[in-house]
Amino acid sequence: MRAVNRSSWPVWVGALAAFSGLMVWHRAPQLSIAPSFVTGYILFALVVFLALYSGRKRLSMLPVGKASVWLTLHLVGGALALALFWLHVETIWPLGTADRALAVLFYGVCLSGVVGYGLQLWLPGRLAHAGREIIYERIPTEIATIRGQVEKEILEAAGESGNDTLGREYLETLAWYFAQPRFFWSNALGGRSAEHWLQRHLTTIGRYLTEAERVHLARIAELGAEKRRADAQYAMQALLKRWTMFHVPLAVAMLTLAVWHLILVHVFAR
Amino acid sequence: MNVHAPTMVRPHRWDVPFDSDMSDADVDALMATPVVASVRAEEFPAHIPLRGILRNDARIVSFQPGDIVCREGDYGNSAFLVLSGAVRVVLAPSLPRKLLGRQEVHKKGFFESLTQLFTNSRIPEVRDTERYRNIRAQSRGASGAETHIFIQDVPAVLDQHRTVTLPIGQIFGELAALGRVPRSATVFAETETRLLEIRWQGLRELHRYDPGWKRLIDENYRRNALHGVLRTNPLFAGLSAEDLQAVADQVKFKTYGAFDWHVSYKQMRETGAAGDEPIIAAEGLVPDGVYLVRAGFARVSVRFGSAQRTLAYLGAGDQFGLDETYESWKTGKPARRLNSLTGLGYVDVLRVPSHVLEKYVFPNLPAPPPPAPPVDRPIHDDAFAEWLVDERLINGTQVMLIDLDRCVRCDDCVKACASTHGGNPRFIRHGRIFDQWMVANACMHCRDPVCMIGCPTGAIHRHETAGVVVINDDTCIGCGTCANSCPYDNIRLVEIANPSGDPIVDGDGRAIVKATKCDLCVEQLGGPACARACPHDALSRVSASTLVEHAATTTPEATAP
Repeated sequence: MRAVNRSSWPVWVGALAAFSGLMVWHRAPQLSIAPSFVTGYILFALVVFLALYSGRKRLSMLPVGKASVWLTLHLVGGALALALFWLHVETIWPLGTADRALAVLFYGVCLSGVVGYGLQLWLPGRLAHAGREIIYERIPTEIATIRGQVEKEILEAAGESGNDTLGREYLETLAWYFAQPRFFWSNALGGRSAEHWLQRHLTTIGRYLTEAERVHLARIAELGAEKRRADAQYAMQALLKRWTMFHVPLAVAMLTLAVWHLILVHVFAR
Repeated sequence: MNVHAPTMVRPHRWDVPFDSDMSDADVDALMATPVVASVRAEEFPAHIPLRGILRNDARIVSFQPGDIVCREGDYGNSAFLVLSGAVRVVLAPSLPRKLLGRQEVHKKGFFESLTQLFTNSRIPEVRDTERYRNIRAQSRGASGAETHIFIQDVPAVLDQHRTVTLPIGQIFGELAALGRVPRSATVFAETETRLLEIRWQGLRELHRYDPGWKRLIDENYRRNALHGVLRTNPLFAGLSAEDLQAVADQVKFKTYGAFDWHVSYKQMRETGAAGDEPIIAAEGLVPDGVYLVRAGFARVSVRFGSAQRTLAYLGAGDQFGLDETYESWKTGKPARRLNSLTGLGYVDVLRVPSHVLEKYVFPNLPAPPPPAPPVDRPIHDDAFAEWLVDERLINGTQVMLIDLDRCVRCDDCVKACASTHGGNPRFIRHGRIFDQWMVANACMHCRDPVCMIGCPTGAIHRHETAGVVVINDDTCIGCGTCANSCPYDNIRLVEIANPSGDPIVDGDGRAIVKATKCDLCVEQLGGPACARACPHDALSRVSASTLVEHAATTTPEATAP
C-alpha cells in the first residue's frame, strides 16, 4: 500500500490548531452568541468548500491550483468536518428524524470517502503489478478477443480429433467464465478463486482428452490466465471508479439537507 | 526448399528516387554545371555512381519570386544548390512568424480559458473550415505536387531586413541537413529560380567520396558554426581567438548511424532484433582525443558479462574521453579507455585530437578528477536507465511519466487534456511500462524531433520561444509524414468535422485528416493541464535527463521514513 503523502503534515497541524482554538472558545463559560450557530455555519462553509473539489475537476483549463493540493485540503477538511460535526451536535447520534437523516448522510459521505481513499492507497500498487495494464474501457474488447481465441482453439481441437469433448466442456462450463468479467470480489480483494475454479475444470476435463487435444487445453489454460489478469484489472479499476458513485450523490443529498436544516434553524430559532 | 514461398525482387537503395521525374537529360544538364563538373566522378564506387546520386537522390525544384525555400527554425533533410536565378538569405532581423506561415501562439486569458467550459464542442475535432482559406491564399503549388509558402511583399522584406543574395553555384542548407539542427535562416527566391535539392543520403555520399564537396561542407561548418560550438564548451572557453582558430582548424568531423534512425528503430521494435550500434570509441584502446556530441545521442558503456552495460548517455553538447586523454598527457604513460562510446541511432560528433588538446588546452586546464573507478553498484540500480536508453526515451524533454503505484486510473488527466483541446484529448494514458513507471503515449517534445523531418509544409515545428514541438493546424495537410516518423507513436491523425458534426471530405469523398498531438498546453494558463489535474501527483512531465533521478526520489524506498 502506498504511504499517505507526508508533505501534507503542515495542513494537518493547521487544521488541528484551528479546531483546538474553536474547542477552547466553545467551552468558554459566557458567550455572546450561541456556539452551535458558529460551529454550524463553519461546518456548512467547510462542507461547501469540500464540495468545490468536484468543481476543480471540471476547471482544468484554469490555473486554480494543483489537484493534488486540492485533494490534500479535501482530506484534511473532511477530517475537520467530522470533528466539527461532533462539536456542533455534541453527540454522535442526534435526536429528531430530520437531524438523524442529515447525520446518516453525513456519516455516509465520511465513510464512503474513507473507503474510497483507502482503495486509492491500496489498489494502484496491486494494479501496477497485476500483469498487463489495460485501459478500463478496453477490457470488454480484450475479453472478447481472448474468448475468440479460446473458441478457435476449441474448433481446431474438434477438427483435428473429431471429438466434441472439449466443445461440450466449453459450452457447459468454460463459456460462462470467458463470457464476461467474473469473480469480481475475489479479484478485487486479491483472492485466487478464479485460478482455482479454472484449474479444477481444466484438470477434470483433461483426463478425457487425447494428447492432441491436451495441447489445445494447455493453450486454453494460458488464455484463461490471461483472462484472469484482465478480470483483475477490471475488478480493481471498477472499484476505483465506482466508489465515487456513492460518495458524490450522498454528498449532494447531504448538502441539500444541510441547506434545509439551515432554513429550519433560522425559522424556529426566533 | 519450399517452392511455394512468395518471391519478390530484392529491394535496392534507389528503388524509390527522390523525384521520379528526373531524366537522363536532366542529369546530363546537371553534369555540365561548373559545381557538378568539378566533382571527381571516378572517386565514387561503382554501386554509387555520381550520375546515380543525381538521378535518385536529387531533384530540380522551381521557385517563383517570393517563394520561401526554407524557413528559419525548420528541420530539413536536404541541401540546395542554386542552378539559375537567385535566392536571398534573411540575416537579420528574422522574418515575423506570420509572414512565414507560422501559427501565432496566443496565450488564453482567464475568461477565454473559462469559456472553454461552454464552447467545447460535443463532437470531437470540429474545425472552422473558413479559417483554412486565409492560409491557402498564402500558399501556392504546381499541379498540387509542390506547395510553397510565399512572401507577398518582397520589396518590403528587402527594405526592412538585412539580406544577402546567394549566387548561382552556391550551396546552402547542408549544415541543417547533415547536422540535424534547425535551419539557421530563412531563404526565399528573389527571381524565378531553379534549385537542385539533394537529400541527405546523396549529400552524405558527395561528402564522403568527393574531396571538393567534403572540403566545401567542412569549411562551411568551420566558418559558420564550429566557433560557436567550441566557445560554449568550458574546455575551450578561455582560449584566445588565435588558439581557438587553431583548434577549430584541426577538429575532425564524423557522423555515425543512419540519419533516419527512427525507421530502423521501428523495425527493431517490431522484429525484436537489436540493431548494431556503431562504435565511436572503443574500451581498452589508447585515447585519441575528446569527443563532442554535436547532434543525436551516444551511449557510454562498459563490458559486463557478455554484453555492454550502460553507464550514461550523451546528447548534444556533451563530451567523452577527457579523463583518460588528460591522464595520458599528465603521466606521460598511455592510458586505456575505461568505457566505450557507441552511437544511438544517429550521432554527429566532433573529435578534438589529443595533440591539439595537449598543445592548447591541457597546460591551462585545472586537473580534472582522475578517471572514475569501475562501477560497483548492483546492475538493478541501472535497469531503469538501461531501459530508457534501449527504448530511446532519452530523446524526450517533456516525457509524460506516470507512477502506476500512485495512479488511481481516474483519467482526470485525460479529461483535463480534452477540456483544454476542444473536447478531444491529445494523448493516450497507455504506453511503455518499466516496473511501476509508465511512459504514456504523449508527445515528448524530443531533443531530436524526427517527426519534423519531411513535413512538406513545415506545419510541425518547434516553437521558438516555448521550445515545444507544435503543429500548425492551419497548414497541416494531413499527409501523415510526422505520425509515421514519430518513433514513439505519439502523433495521431484525426478526421475533422464541421460544427454540425458532418465529416469534412475532399472532392473524392475521402475524409480530411489533421495531425494532432500534445502541445504542452502552450496556449493555456498554468502549463500542462494533465499534470495539474492529477490528484495524486502520479503524473509528471520530466526531461529524460532527470527521469532516473525523478524516479529514484519518488519510489517507495525513497519516500519511506
